[in-house]
Amino acid sequence: MAETNGKTPLSNESYLSQAGTTSVKKLLVVRDLNFSINDKQILGDICFDAAKGEFIGVIGPNGAGKTTLLKCIDGIYKSTGNIEIGGADLVGMSSREIAGRVAMLHQDTTVTFPFTVLDIVLTGRYHLLGRFKAERPADYEAARRYMEYTDTLGLEGRLINTLSGGERQRVLFAKALAQETDLILLDEPSASMDIAYEEQTFRYSAELCRNGKTVIAAVHDLKTAVRFCSRLILMKDGRIIADGAPEMVVTRQNLLKAYGVNALVYKNRISGQVDFHIPGQAENRRDKLVHVIGGGGSASGVIRQLFEGGYSITAGVFAHGDSDLGCTDVFGIPTLVCQPFSEIDDETFQKNIEMIRAADFTILCDMPFGQQNIKNLKAAANAGKLIIIEDGKPENRDFTGGKALLEYNALKGNAVVIESARLHEVLP
Amino acid sequence: MKSGKNIPESTVYKKMRIVLPAMVAVLLVLIVTAVAVGPVYIPFGQSVRIILSNMGLLNDPSLPRDQNAIIYLVRLPRALTACLAGGALASCGAAMQGMFRNPMADPGILGVSSGAGLGAVTAITLGFAARSIYMLPLFASVGALMAVTLIYLLSLRKGKISSLTLILSGIAVSTFIGAVTQLVLMNSNNYEVRSYVFWAMGSLNGMMWSHVRLIAAPVVILILVLAFFARDLNLLLLGEEEAQSVGLEPSRSRKLLLLVTSLTVAAAISVCGPIGFVGLIVPHILRLITGPDHRILIPASALGGAIFLTGCDILARLPANGEISVGIITSLLGAPFFLYLLIKSRREGELF
Repeated sequence: MAETNGKTPLSNESYLSQAGTTSVKKLLVVRDLNFSINDKQILGDICFDAAKGEFIGVIGPNGAGKTTLLKCIDGIYKSTGNIEIGGADLVGMSSREIAGRVAMLHQDTTVTFPFTVLDIVLTGRYHLLGRFKAERPADYEAARRYMEYTDTLGLEGRLINTLSGGERQRVLFAKALAQETDLILLDEPSASMDIAYEEQTFRYSAELCRNGKTVIAAVHDLKTAVRFCSRLILMKDGRIIADGAPEMVVTRQNLLKAYGVNALVYKNRISGQVDFHIPGQAENRRDKLVHVIGGGGSASGVIRQLFEGGYSITAGVFAHGDSDLGCTDVFGIPTLVCQPFSEIDDETFQKNIEMIRAADFTILCDMPFGQQNIKNLKAAANAGKLIIIEDGKPENRDFTGGKALLEYNALKGNAVVIESARLHEVLP
Repeated sequence: MKSGKNIPESTVYKKMRIVLPAMVAVLLVLIVTAVAVGPVYIPFGQSVRIILSNMGLLNDPSLPRDQNAIIYLVRLPRALTACLAGGALASCGAAMQGMFRNPMADPGILGVSSGAGLGAVTAITLGFAARSIYMLPLFASVGALMAVTLIYLLSLRKGKISSLTLILSGIAVSTFIGAVTQLVLMNSNNYEVRSYVFWAMGSLNGMMWSHVRLIAAPVVILILVLAFFARDLNLLLLGEEEAQSVGLEPSRSRKLLLLVTSLTVAAAISVCGPIGFVGLIVPHILRLITGPDHRILIPASALGGAIFLTGCDILARLPANGEISVGIITSLLGAPFFLYLLIKSRREGELF
């Protein structure tokens, strides 16, 4: 929610900021945490620290123990080992003391009983209220401040069971914030949740962390985790198998180890973040080798389509820095590269011809032609089978004053010409 | 926002200020009615004057002494016992339904009634009941507490109570204790059986000031305690882990609440028998009016239970050829009404 970004940062008037900045380094210390149910080990030897301002995403496949870990930190499950929050041991703390240090947004946000939204948010103040005391003005103020923050102030008098899933989640998030803790645990609602609200808690959390809170979130969607979290903890079978910055954790090996998928991990050029692609099932591996000639982004879509179709691929020649190179990187495709802003050198040209000859067929993408890459057209003439993708008029893509166009038209006589959208129709 | 004056508070408090005084007014009217009607009708104004003079608030020597005796020695203690017992049963029913998140939870299910029954039978057959009016209540209370403790221990798993196990073992233990009670009764004489059946049907007949004195303090104090646990009950209703996250110790709260409610109910039914349906339907009706928030539901149930039982007792005394046990009236009225609610709100979750 973009409009919340301008709102007042949440005051951080809890014990830790009062205690000074010495303890800021480690807000949460978890050591040798083990947890079993009926002799079945759910969590094993969990060790990690969380510093102030960190937004930690706990990722891993279903059953990895993400939710269990959060519940141990929240004191709901009694684990063995050591959990320290703000320098104090969790063992021996009453629920009330824990509630003053850790708040948790649970996964299941359904409330079937008709309490008003305000009353629900006020339950976050429980740990601050005496048994014989009514809510103080300060409690109402806090409740309304966090309702405003999560954009639920207008729902104050509504009954919680009449709200939509997204509204309810925001209300319960306001409730967790009303506890005014430094550490917030977030158990991400499962994917069945309203898609429009899937990210809202992450946006709020990221902002909270910038304001000095620490959020640990169990995240199911890896891409969301990468996008919002400053650090990721990857779990598998109750153990941490990787912990660190997103690009350190989301690697091909780790994803294979945790999820058993062969993902393609790369740096997204637009977001600058680590990204990954899990190719469609290429179980129908074909015994066909394709060579792709492209550039300027024209080859990327074609390569992905071929990759998912189970073809073996070679590509080239691209100039250094060409956006299509990002794609061939990701898919691990043998690619010919030449110096930018200069003609393709003879050696590379020869290699290109070899690749084209070795391929079962060659695809010439809908690419611009200049003096630098005109040799690609010459090389294409060596193709046994040539497919030319033509989405726009080649005249508009010729920057050689007609020279390339001549070559291109000559190639067309011997090739299948098709729009990119219909490429699958002509692939052997 | 400097002062709290202009901060709108939770609507629960506003509701409380409307609903509770209205219920108190209804209850007062019913008490006066209960005191006025009967084989000897005493006009309402006269009844009020007699009550006030007995409270020392009115000095009117012209009041007839026989009417005074009927009201002060017979009807008023009976009406007050009805209030106390009804309030105890209904508020505890509300609390039990909340703490176990189970709409069927009521004092009867948790073994309080059956335990009290065995205690009562013991007191009667061993002859203690005949010696002092305190003996039957005492035995009934002890029986109730023993039954609840047994059920509680049976449903304890690693320091936690499972709601389902609690209710299931409650039913099992209740049935078992009921069988033992029948066994004892089979070997009792006619008089003993009659006095047990009379107690077990639930009756307010013969309630005296000594009965009121016996249960007034525990019932009033324990209902107040329950009211102070209203916020805990709300949290338990929202879910165990949810409650723990905001700072409640669910199993400890349950233990405490179970003890408080058992004691309250034991006190109430020890004098007037296990009166059915009050603890079950009164909270359900009030939940429809007040919503699920225990801050209002507990006091409203206490008042509602008092109103319901006092009203039922008036009906029980109406037949000219001798009164009916109030327990019969509550069940006759309560069961159909409960079914009506059930059918009307068949959709899941609406009733509770």
